[in-house]
Amino acid sequence: MLLGKGRDGVILTVENLEVHYGRAKVLHNIAFKMDEGELVTIVGRNGSGKTTLLKTLGGFLKPSAGSILFRGQRIDGLGPENVALKGIRYVFQDKRVFGELTVKENIELAAYPIKENLEKAVQKVLSVYPRLEKFLHSKAKGLSGGERQILLIGRVLIGQPQLLLIDEPTEGLAAKIISEITAILLSMKGQFSMIVVEQNLATVARLADKIHIMKEGVMFKEITDPEMIRQPSQYENDL
Amino acid sequence: MLQTIFYGLTIGGILYIISIGLSLTFGAMGIVNFSHGLIYAIGAYTIYAVMAKMGINFILGAVIAVLVSIPFSYIIEKYVIRRLYGESIDYAIIATYAVLLIGVDAIKWIWGASPLPISDPVGISIQFLTMEMPLYRLIIIGLTLLILIGLSLFFKKTIIGKIIIAGLGDREAVRGLGIRLDKYFAIIFILGSALAALGGVLYSPISTLHPYMGFHILILCFAVVIVGGMGNLRGTAIAAFSLGLVMAITGRIWGPAAEAMVYVVMAFVLMIRPIET
Ligand SMILES: Nc1ncnc2c1ncn2[C@@H]1O[C@H](COP(=O)(O)OP(=O)(O)OP(=O)(O)O)[C@@H](O)[C@H]1O
Ligand SMILES: [Mg+2]
Repeated sequence: MLLGKGRDGVILTVENLEVHYGRAKVLHNIAFKMDEGELVTIVGRNGSGKTTLLKTLGGFLKPSAGSILFRGQRIDGLGPENVALKGIRYVFQDKRVFGELTVKENIELAAYPIKENLEKAVQKVLSVYPRLEKFLHSKAKGLSGGERQILLIGRVLIGQPQLLLIDEPTEGLAAKIISEITAILLSMKGQFSMIVVEQNLATVARLADKIHIMKEGVMFKEITDPEMIRQPSQYENDL
Repeated sequence: MLQTIFYGLTIGGILYIISIGLSLTFGAMGIVNFSHGLIYAIGAYTIYAVMAKMGINFILGAVIAVLVSIPFSYIIEKYVIRRLYGESIDYAIIATYAVLLIGVDAIKWIWGASPLPISDPVGISIQFLTMEMPLYRLIIIGLTLLILIGLSLFFKKTIIGKIIIAGLGDREAVRGLGIRLDKYFAIIFILGSALAALGGVLYSPISTLHPYMGFHILILCFAVVIVGGMGNLRGTAIAAFSLGLVMAITGRIWGPAAEAMVYVVMAFVLMIRPIET
């Protein structure tokens, strides 16, 4: 299985990470390790730095200090294109599909840089959510929020993803769709290494192998005990 | 009146060909590119040089002029535009304006400051209903329509086109897929510049060449881009033809007001739809 692929089964090592926006320091001394195949969730209030951390891991932001090792190799400062080509796939907050392109073209753009066959890529996405098939040739801006999110999640599974970074997949969605997306994420669990930023603690409790709680740009607390993870009431006051 | 409309469509077509690159550079990279006017002038002066000095015919001359513009736009992209990505828009204005000024001086140095004429390369008019229509102008309209269709197919059907459309909306998301967007923007920049050079070639027989021609057209094209919406391909086409018609119709009523009217329209559009930043 995936475990043991990297050296000692660690896929990601983050050390002393600091990130600034201009002069403002937003992340302070972030450090954590993640195992192959693990599903790590990051929780925290609005503005606590979750997206900033995820974007830094994805290569969109350059840390001002510290390092990010992916299977023992440094990836900080590589830029998002190179990080993506290593198999680290990103789902942005706010369901950012390419609205002017069709659903199929949205998939095509993901398949193209990794030289994946388009039909195979489309099948992959449809295997996650067959109902997208009837929208393949419609512009993506016509999709509902839930459909957009599922398209984006399906799209990161194309080819051989190594690590998935998913930012607030259930934000702003109706309860029914949240449970559908939670089910999709659960079905992916174990097959892929994933970091999921999520504020919905019920979802977190169902998904997580590990929880990192962020507060004002620091990793404030880590929860690894499965018993505790299943009971949000135990940590909701830490947010 | 029909003739006025035809004249308007000719000018509109040329404005479209030139504006498309400007609009894409603005929409995709957030860069106001004054050096676009220089490429346009390079197109015009090259066709002049090859026709007047070497006796080459117009069609071959046009091809040469477009080809000659490519190394210039390549260099401008690589050493100026690429360094301006993500910088404040003021830097882009200053840097590309400097390129345009250098180019204008180079043109004065090589060809002198006085206007140069190019004669109508076709030289025939055709009779259409009650009016005389220079065939050359009809060819321009036809060519513009071909370019319009070609570009829309390019943006709809090719992967480069789709990447640009996606990148116009969300650069970060495109890069996050592992696509080196800068490379595609460079291709589009050079394509847009080649079209500006072609615009210079096509416009020169119905106007005159002078070192400041790049400034002049640029202001009109900015109006087109503002009215059409930056990076909006269809909007650019509609705005170019509409403003071409505005110019021709106003010019028929009172010549000196033709261009002023373009800015009146632009101001009006800005009033009802301010630029989103
Ligand atoms: N582009 C930016 N420029 C300057 N400051 C920023 C920028 N983006 C975020 N910030 C600031 O950085 C801090 C962390 O923001 P971040 O988006 O990482 O938070 P978050 O935990 O993802 O919040 P949310 O739950 O609202 O998505 C906030 O104080 C925010 O205001
Ligand atoms: Mg966020």
